[in-house]
Amino acid sequence: MKKGLIALMALCLLVGGAMAAMADTVKIGLMGPMTGPWASEGQEMKQVLDLLAADLNAKGGVLGKKVEVIADDDGGDPRTAALAAQRLATQGIVAVIGTYGSSVTEATQNIYNESKILQIANGSTAIRLSEKGLKYFFRTCPRDDEQGRVAVQAIEKLGFKTVAILHDNTTYAKGLADEAKGLLEGKGIKIVFFDALTPGERDYTAILTKLKGANPDVVFFTGYYPEAGLLLRQKKEMNWNVPFIGGDATNNPDLVKIAGKDAAQGFYFLSAPLPKDLPSPEAKAFLDEFTKKYGNAPNSIYAVLAGDGFRVITAAIQATQSTDPDKLADYLHKELKEFAGLTGKIAFNEKGDRVGEVYRVYKVDAEGNFILQP
Amino acid sequence: MTEKRFLVYGGVAALLAVCPLFLNAYWTDVLNSIGLYAALGLSLNLIVGHAGLFNLGHAAFYAVGAYTAAILNTKFHIPILALMPLCGLTAGLFALLIARPIIHLRGDYLCIVTIGVGEIVRIALINNVFGITGGANGIFGIARPSLMGWVIRRPQEFFYLIWAFVALTVFLFHRLENSRFGRALNYLREDETAAEGSGIDTAHYKLMAFVLGAAWAGMVGNIYAAKMTIIAPESFSFWESVVMFTLIILGGSGSIPGVLLGAFLIVGLPEVFRGFTNARMMVFGAAMIAMMIFRTGGILPARPRRYELLKEEAAEEST
Amino acid sequence: MEEFFQQLTNGLAVGGIYALIALGYTMVYGVLKLINFAHGDLFTIGSYLGLTLLTSLFLSDRLGPGAGIVVLALMVMGLVALVGALLERVAYRPLRHSPRLSAVVSALGASIFFSNTLMLIYGARFQVYPQGILPKTAIDLFGLYVPLVRVLILGASVVMMIALYAFIQKTKIGTAIRAAAIDQDAARLMGIDVNRVILMVFLIGPALGGAAGLMVGLHYGQINFTMGWVYGLKAFTAAILGGIGNIPGAMVGGILLGVIEALGAAYLSIAWKDAIAFGVLIFILIVRPTGLLGERVAEKV
Repeated sequence: MKKGLIALMALCLLVGGAMAAMADTVKIGLMGPMTGPWASEGQEMKQVLDLLAADLNAKGGVLGKKVEVIADDDGGDPRTAALAAQRLATQGIVAVIGTYGSSVTEATQNIYNESKILQIANGSTAIRLSEKGLKYFFRTCPRDDEQGRVAVQAIEKLGFKTVAILHDNTTYAKGLADEAKGLLEGKGIKIVFFDALTPGERDYTAILTKLKGANPDVVFFTGYYPEAGLLLRQKKEMNWNVPFIGGDATNNPDLVKIAGKDAAQGFYFLSAPLPKDLPSPEAKAFLDEFTKKYGNAPNSIYAVLAGDGFRVITAAIQATQSTDPDKLADYLHKELKEFAGLTGKIAFNEKGDRVGEVYRVYKVDAEGNFILQP
Repeated sequence: MTEKRFLVYGGVAALLAVCPLFLNAYWTDVLNSIGLYAALGLSLNLIVGHAGLFNLGHAAFYAVGAYTAAILNTKFHIPILALMPLCGLTAGLFALLIARPIIHLRGDYLCIVTIGVGEIVRIALINNVFGITGGANGIFGIARPSLMGWVIRRPQEFFYLIWAFVALTVFLFHRLENSRFGRALNYLREDETAAEGSGIDTAHYKLMAFVLGAAWAGMVGNIYAAKMTIIAPESFSFWESVVMFTLIILGGSGSIPGVLLGAFLIVGLPEVFRGFTNARMMVFGAAMIAMMIFRTGGILPARPRRYELLKEEAAEEST
Repeated sequence: MEEFFQQLTNGLAVGGIYALIALGYTMVYGVLKLINFAHGDLFTIGSYLGLTLLTSLFLSDRLGPGAGIVVLALMVMGLVALVGALLERVAYRPLRHSPRLSAVVSALGASIFFSNTLMLIYGARFQVYPQGILPKTAIDLFGLYVPLVRVLILGASVVMMIALYAFIQKTKIGTAIRAAAIDQDAARLMGIDVNRVILMVFLIGPALGGAAGLMVGLHYGQINFTMGWVYGLKAFTAAILGGIGNIPGAMVGGILLGVIEALGAAYLSIAWKDAIAFGVLIFILIVRPTGLLGERVAEKV
């Protein structure tokens, strides 16, 4: 025990020393779920940021200094996240990118705000996060109300008259489901089913059987892709051919792998435009480089949105020639317009929310490709 | 003996008291987290360590306390620390309600029932039971606590609040351990039949221990809600109960210093292991096994009780 | 009514898997009085090993689909059994004579270790079994539409359970396992090698758990490193429901839990499904404190 402890302390000192040696850098924090159930998201966020930082440094960095990404694990849970935030806040970072879950982000907002560190969330879509008047909070993902609006538009356009809404009781999915429900009822579209599944299970046939009994024109599933994939697969096995629409958390190539091409075919989902559908040369270049470095294209749109957070903040540092949080926040709120992000044009409103139409409707074709719908 | 112990406690307390002066906000907050789990561990220790009841659903009572505080604070703007006794009361009552019919279950059956209760509570919170728990969003906008006009905000300030509470807990539970109640609990843990034979109402004492431990966890829930200012169901998952349970057994079941040390290890080590990034939980799991193997009874197990007889003959009674 | 029967078959398929995992809990508990919280992760290891072997050995191409799956299952069961025996040797044997709860903590540590090791080896992303290994046909059962795979899975579970039951009841080593479960010291005095019995238990239980993991992978297609926790908790519940330490009890408890979940989701609420299942469990334990098939034994806690 004792020896181990001494070795550990030595290790800590070593790490500490190494950090001090690289003092003259611009530090950007990354807070993401590196362990726990959403570990794949956090680890991909880190891949994206590592790539972008290496790129930027090859071009000379910002303010004549190298950019250093300091990643920390929020474990996907608020308590661990609060600790991660405290830890990042003491490491002299200018801004932090992240994180994924809304309640996880919420547990850290005050810590960053009080330490005057800019926070750019990448996957936290809960409406209330930006309704608190926090000066240093931004996000590159849209809010649930925006997504709900687009979802309802799509359902209307496709001509469905009765809708079943299924969520998974996470902050995000429940928020989107509630938003959509209210809007649909306002338009006179009937909600024939509204309930939540338990994420992380494998067998959803009981739920599908019950859904089938409600006989909807379409099922709107607001949860995440692992469950969406299983639902599609088991729906196919049940020989039930009802169209499914998913929220942006179902946008992941693994969805098709889980469901199988024949079961995934015809699935609609909402998403910020995929990098492949972006005309901008930045997106194309990024996509190629990512594939070259890691062997596959990025799986999660949220990881790409984290990349956009990084690009926005480094651009702001470059433009203001400063790492002063007030100047940077002012710049992002007021000056930054039409920034060419990986996921489209980026600008922020006074609340720190991303402005502009972000969501598109996609449909899965017979080959499992995601096709942008006009 | 007692003087030595007093010195050790005093020394540790003095050392802790000056910690925030040297540590940055992060390490202070780690200590805060350790303090919260130490208080939770001590409350669960009463149930597991002293009464010998296998409880893996302690997070449920912690949650009841935290939600009581959060709901009353956000709806009626009652200062959160003033709600502490009420949080203990609701958690205690809830424990009484559910423990009454199940307290006679033995060992592992009780274990799964407590797991079940914990899960039911969590699912109820997620499903926004009675429309007051806020569902998966949880409850946010809890006001910062204040003590005599001083608003507690920074980790350093919370440090003193939390650790003062831990000190109070240690003091009270130490007294309790050596009371008639504490002795009765240990007796029935060691040999229920013999205890019953000696006229101890075992069901009553078990229930008392369960309710008292739960009530204390409810009060810790109050502090947690005050510190986080937002609470959500995932903070009260089965995993939390496992953490509380593990730190007791690891540190030394039934031993107050053991539980304190357990809290330091279980909450502190994953933080120390952050250097391993993705591998940190794997290292932590291996460390748990290793610690159990090398110290099978926990790192600081409860010491056998010694009683001095009035006359010269000294008799020993092992616990 | 049709929906009722459809839900019943849904529940049976899920319950079969629970039962298979529950057997591992109940056997270990029977002999060692230890809740092996790492058992769920042995199940996960089974599904990951199945995926690796499936994609690297091309068994179904070489041996044909039927024989390929059987050989694959045997390999997975053997490997997971080895992991189980290793787990016993490293994490549990040194703790055999220490307080019972110490071994529980060691088991929890092993669970964390296994799931995070899997994450480091295979990555945190969901892994997906290749499609088209199992036939996709469905059978018409009195107007019910039941995929053939589900029938096969339930069938395979039942066959394995019957085999285990026969093994425990009829063979010499099975008798030794039962004897050690009743009274370890007496069994030792009767010349039974208790260490061997414990080793057997840690070979059979994990092998069945590994088989369950493979079946989940083959049928549902999607696996990840945290899934053992959910399945493990459910299977443990099932073992208690049936009366822990009792082998037929684990089978009954597993199937019953699956059916309760399906019917609870169908007729009460999907979101409250797990709460309903735990509620039923608590109710049963209040009425019958030793589970459905458990015998009333004086147990010292």
